[in-house]
Amino acid sequence: MPIIDVRNLGKTYRTIEKEGGVKGAVKALFRPQYREKVAVHDLNFQIDAGEIVGYIGVNGAGKSTTIKMLTGILYPTTGSISVLGHDPQRERVANARNIGVVFGQRSQLWWDLALIESLNLVANIYEVEPSRYKQLLSHFAEVLELDEILKTPIRSMSLGQKMRAELAATFIHEPKVVYLDEPTIGLDVMVKQRIREFIKDYNQTHNTTVMLTTHDLGDIEQLCSRVIIIDAGSKVYDGPLNAIKQQFGKFRTITFETNQPIVSVNLPPACEQLNLSEFSLEVRFDRSQISASQVANAVMQQLDVADFTLNEPDLESIIKHLYQNPTAYNEVGARG
Amino acid sequence: MDKLYYRLRTYRSVVGMNIKEILAYNFWFWSQVGAHILLTIAYISFWKALYSERDSIAGLDMQQTLTYIILARIVMPLVQWGYTQEFGFWIREGTISSELLRPVDFQERIYIGHLTRTFVSLAQQLIVVGSLALFVFKISLPTDPLVWLSFLISLLLGCSILFCFDWIFGCIAFYSTEVWGLQVVRGSVLLLFSGVLLPLTMLPTALQTIAKWLPFAQSVSVPVSILSGMTPLSNLGSIWLQQLAWLSVMFILSRLMFNFSVRKITVQGG
Repeated sequence: MPIIDVRNLGKTYRTIEKEGGVKGAVKALFRPQYREKVAVHDLNFQIDAGEIVGYIGVNGAGKSTTIKMLTGILYPTTGSISVLGHDPQRERVANARNIGVVFGQRSQLWWDLALIESLNLVANIYEVEPSRYKQLLSHFAEVLELDEILKTPIRSMSLGQKMRAELAATFIHEPKVVYLDEPTIGLDVMVKQRIREFIKDYNQTHNTTVMLTTHDLGDIEQLCSRVIIIDAGSKVYDGPLNAIKQQFGKFRTITFETNQPIVSVNLPPACEQLNLSEFSLEVRFDRSQISASQVANAVMQQLDVADFTLNEPDLESIIKHLYQNPTAYNEVGARG
Repeated sequence: MDKLYYRLRTYRSVVGMNIKEILAYNFWFWSQVGAHILLTIAYISFWKALYSERDSIAGLDMQQTLTYIILARIVMPLVQWGYTQEFGFWIREGTISSELLRPVDFQERIYIGHLTRTFVSLAQQLIVVGSLALFVFKISLPTDPLVWLSFLISLLLGCSILFCFDWIFGCIAFYSTEVWGLQVVRGSVLLLFSGVLLPLTMLPTALQTIAKWLPFAQSVSVPVSILSGMTPLSNLGSIWLQQLAWLSVMFILSRLMFNFSVRKITVQGG
């Protein structure tokens, strides 16, 4: 029985389109021209208890729109959502008790108040039992290093402190489902690492279901075993992270540095030229068909090579390749 | 029982939070005090000048009018702002989404905060404007505790009516991205028809009728008339009934309007 069940979900925004200039503005006042924009189209997925799912896509792909519909603050145009058996829109308050949400670009805490005041209020709102609250607070203070900032108003916190504060406020009522919308945006590596560890640890100890949107593939690699990729509002991939890695992991690249300017080069089959500049050449090859030494040998017979490096593909280059070549999704077997 | 316990705890936090938020802005607090002193002096001088030529205006003598005006000044900052700006801010900044994600009634939470602010503001006004009236302008304020109690009840009802009205009005921000104009309209209508500028009995009959059908008078003119002695306590029964009727209608409308317009939300960004 899935915890999150999304069926045929769609959202269409209607915006007023204005022509330029004062004339256009006046015209829009009396006869507005509406334009419909499909943000999410016919989305289907199920998420089980305890899963951490990476929900990724380029800017404007529809990630945040989906998250907002799942949390209940945005009404879908079509389809249905069930989170722990609740309809997030119709049963907003009941649903809100079960979930926690972090919007990386927006604070849910009270700007002028010290963190501890915000946490106290959140604990009361979510009816956290006082002794349990005390326990959780001291635990979070330790793992998120909150002691130094408990009495600091949110407005005087650094970005990293703010995000730690947000996480504490989000997890203090022990939600069963957590949506994290770009939780590591703009943070330094140390804070990112601490936050990832916190999420991972919490997921393991509480069996919390986590849905994570991010542009930081480090988040995905360290946290998610499953990935859903969305493009232009539609799901294009849903499956294990490993499948993408294995499929694209068969590709490697070699970068050659030459002593003489490169005029032309003939590559053996199963090779593809990625970058070419005066003294450097980058080649991608399918290692199931040709070996690195064969490629290097072929190139070195034609060019005066000073140095070369062999690169294993990282997730970032794989995702970049996927974003740029939508047809490549078929190669990894998109699940519809 | 448990539910009630947590609810009361939540309210206690909300009340405390609002008081702390007011106090977080020291300069704002004191600049408001200064502004009220200046405005009170201006109002009193203006009415004294008017009465230098005659003994009564619309059946009110100078003492009655001054008492009313001073008391209206005390109530004024309680009703001045409304919620249009806040709604605009919540929607523009996306705070509305965090608010809607909490498992409590949003309107109820804001209402508790609103009442807190109202009564902090009232205390502040009573001290500043009240002592100015008593010691500088020698205007006597009522001493009967029963009058004060009736005033407070009527004020509580009036502010709740206006809160619901402002909630309805604020919901327009879901449809119009521009809130400044709405705020200005509300401010001007409030100034004339609430009885903050002058006792409503001084208005032409046609305007008095309009004032009767707008909710603004319920929060200023009605309670202030009780406190200034213009409305005898024997009328209290019918006044409270009327205020309760206003409140029920406004409350129901505000719930409907909010639930309807919240579907419009398109929170920016992301």
